[in-house]
Order: sequence, then structure tokens, then C-alpha cells
Amino acid sequence: MKTALRWFLWLWMTGLILAALLWAPLAQNFTGLMGDAPQSSRIVFFHVPMAVASFFAFMAAAVWSILYLVKRSPKHDYAAVAAIEVGTVFCILATVTGAVWSKVQWGKYWNWDPRQTSIALAILFYGAYLSLRGAIEDPEVRARLSAAYSALGLVVAPFLFFIMPRMASFSLHPTPGSAEMDASIGSVVIMGIIGYTALFFWMQNLRARILALSSGEEDLYSV
Amino acid sequence: MWTWPAEVRTIFLKEWRCELRTRYALSTVCLFAVTTLFMVSLSIGPMGSSEELRPVLPVFLWVILLFAASAGLPRTFVHEEESGTADPLRLCASPSAVFCGKALYNLTLLLVLEAVVVPFFIGMLDLPVADPKSFVLSLLAGGLGLAVGSTLIAAMVAQAQVRGPLFAVLAFPILLPLLKIVVDASLGAVLGSPVDMALGLAFLYDSMITVASLMLFPVIWNP
Repeated sequence: MKTALRWFLWLWMTGLILAALLWAPLAQNFTGLMGDAPQSSRIVFFHVPMAVASFFAFMAAAVWSILYLVKRSPKHDYAAVAAIEVGTVFCILATVTGAVWSKVQWGKYWNWDPRQTSIALAILFYGAYLSLRGAIEDPEVRARLSAAYSALGLVVAPFLFFIMPRMASFSLHPTPGSAEMDASIGSVVIMGIIGYTALFFWMQNLRARILALSSGEEDLYSV
Repeated sequence: MWTWPAEVRTIFLKEWRCELRTRYALSTVCLFAVTTLFMVSLSIGPMGSSEELRPVLPVFLWVILLFAASAGLPRTFVHEEESGTADPLRLCASPSAVFCGKALYNLTLLLVLEAVVVPFFIGMLDLPVADPKSFVLSLLAGGLGLAVGSTLIAAMVAQAQVRGPLFAVLAFPILLPLLKIVVDASLGAVLGSPVDMALGLAFLYDSMITVASLMLFPVIWNP
């Protein structure tokens, strides 16, 4: 069953890449600064799903952290740290693809667009989480404090993702729901969001199991 | 007999009594802020603030306050752990009373700091404030969030082995949304533009971080 699911995920991602690069039409209003890079709009099929998956990643990490604080099982600590590690990778990839796209479309890599602000702060926050873990040796104290810190992220997250982007008078990003796009582009983006979210949870599960194995608690996970 | 208010008052008074014995935090924080203020004022030059420069000045004020706070506030809990008084404190007061007492102490310390630095800042940089009431409110809102957030992070840092720069690394991502909002509010007050929205958001942030801190502090404080 697990093998079948894994193959299904890989097939799905292959399908996504093929659909994104060959099948989906180009977005008409994203033709690049000089109108000479019409293909650049295809990055949307990777940039948006990675950003959405990293958002899910951090929500999942906060949920696992709170579960840890309630139940105090190391399993939830491993799950939370794995989610943050993998989520940070997704976050960095989303930022880099976004910056490249922004350079092609608007001529600048970085302009403190509200969503760039949010994602930069999110990377800082989870970098801080990882350095907090690095600073504590006792595994129990480490798990407890970092779970509390990650839960604190739930206070900051609404400001980063919902309030501050709407305070700004100007943004390069469309407000969710208001963007008008071709139905086939939209369906490939949704396919990408599903694929990348599944990819994230697969990688997160692997990482959590590695963490459990390397601390000698492999019986937490029935492999 | 409900002893919680008495516990809070005792801890608050104990903090100030210890502080007035050495005046360590007070002198560090105020001197740090005044030194930085001299640097800012000196590099801006003897003309004070020109029209074009004025929008930048509230940012300087908040950067000075933030860094001064991060130089002095972490001591509240680090000191307890170092002198071995943390465990008696755990025994004789409830976690929420410890947190509220310490947060109140940090808040009053920050308000003293603001009372010292802000008149200096306005005087030396020749900064006219169009709307003094909103300006004071923005200082209050910022001070409250800074005090509560720093108290919680200080409690985490005190239990880590590597303490030096950890406070700034952990506190800044949490405090940055607040800082962005109160800088907007102070700037609006200086220029005389409407600030209700920013002030409202700042107090919303303050209440959210207070509630989250009260929920998370017992987990951080009790080993």
C-alpha cells in the first residue's frame, strides 16, 4: 500500500511537470518586462504550490508542537522539527523562484512586496526555531521550549499572512480569489498544490523517521 | 483566599528592589539607548531633521528602543537561573503570577526608558510631533508588546546553554510585525495623518501575545 502511494505521488509529480511545461497555455499578461519572456509564466506552477505547501508545513508544525505540549510524546517533537526543516526548504525555494520571476516580470529581485515580507519573516522565524534547538542540549528541554516557540508562531502568522499584506497599499501579488486566470492554468496550479503538499508530507515523514531512528527510538514508527 | 494579586505585587516589587540595589538593567538600558541616540543624532548632523528626513526618524527611535530592550530585558530570568533563585520562585508562586510580575517590571522599565529617551530624541533631532496623543499611545502599545514578548523569550533563553545572541535571534521575528505596525503609528502621529488603524492593530497584537504568553509560560517555566 505504501509503495503504491509513493509511486502514485511520483507519477503525479511527473504529470504535473509535463502538464506545466507542455500542456498548460501561457498567461497572457505575464510576458516579461520587454515582452520577450512569455514562457516565464510557467514558473507559477511551481512557485505558488511551493509557497502554499510551506504555509501548510508551518501550520502542521504548530499543530504537532501543541500536540507535543499536551501529550509529551517525542514522536510529535520529531514530527514538528521535521515539518519545520522540510518546510524551510520549501519556503526558500518559493522565495527564490518568486525573486527570479519578479526580476523577469518587474525588473527587480526584491522590493518588499507584502508577501515577500511575510515569507522573509517566516524564514527568519523558523531559522530562529532551529537555532533555539541548537542551543539546548537536554532533549526534553529542547523539545519543550522549541514546541512553545513554534506555537508562538501562531500569534505572528495571522499578522504576517493576512493583516500586513492587506495593510499595504500596493502588491505585485493578486489577492486570493480575485485573480482571473485561464481555467486550465488554474487546474494545473491546483494539481501542483496537491502534489507539492503530498510531497512535503512524504519528505516530512521520512525526516521524522530518520530523527527517531538516530535517537534510538525506532519503535515509535512502525515501518 | 485568592493570593494571585498579592503574588504578582510581591514579585513586581522584588524585581524593582533587586534592580535598585544594583541599577544594572536601568543603567545598561538607558546608557545604551542614549549612546545610540547620540550616534544617530551626530551622523544626521547639526541641522536636525529636514523635511525629507522626518519620515525616517520614527524608525530610528524604534530601532534604538528595540535594541536597548534586548540589551537589558533578558536579564530578568537569566539572573534567576544563575543565582539559583529560580527553583524557590517556582515553589512559592504560580507561573502566571511570576509571568505577570516580571512582565509588569519589564513594562515599567521600558516606560522609564521611553520617558528618558523620547524627550531627548525629540529635542536633539528637532522632531515636531503633529499629534502628541497618538504618539504617546503608539509608545505605550509598542512598549507593552515589547515587554510581554521579551519576558516570554527571556524565560526561554534562560534555560538554554548558549545565551549570548540567542535572545535577539528569537525575539526579533516575533516582535517584527509589532515593530512595523508601531513605526507606522508613530510616523502617522509625527506627520499628523490618521493612525487609528495602526494603533488598533498594535493593541490587537499586544492582546494576542499576552494571551499566548499566559498559555505558554507555564510550559516554559516548569521543567
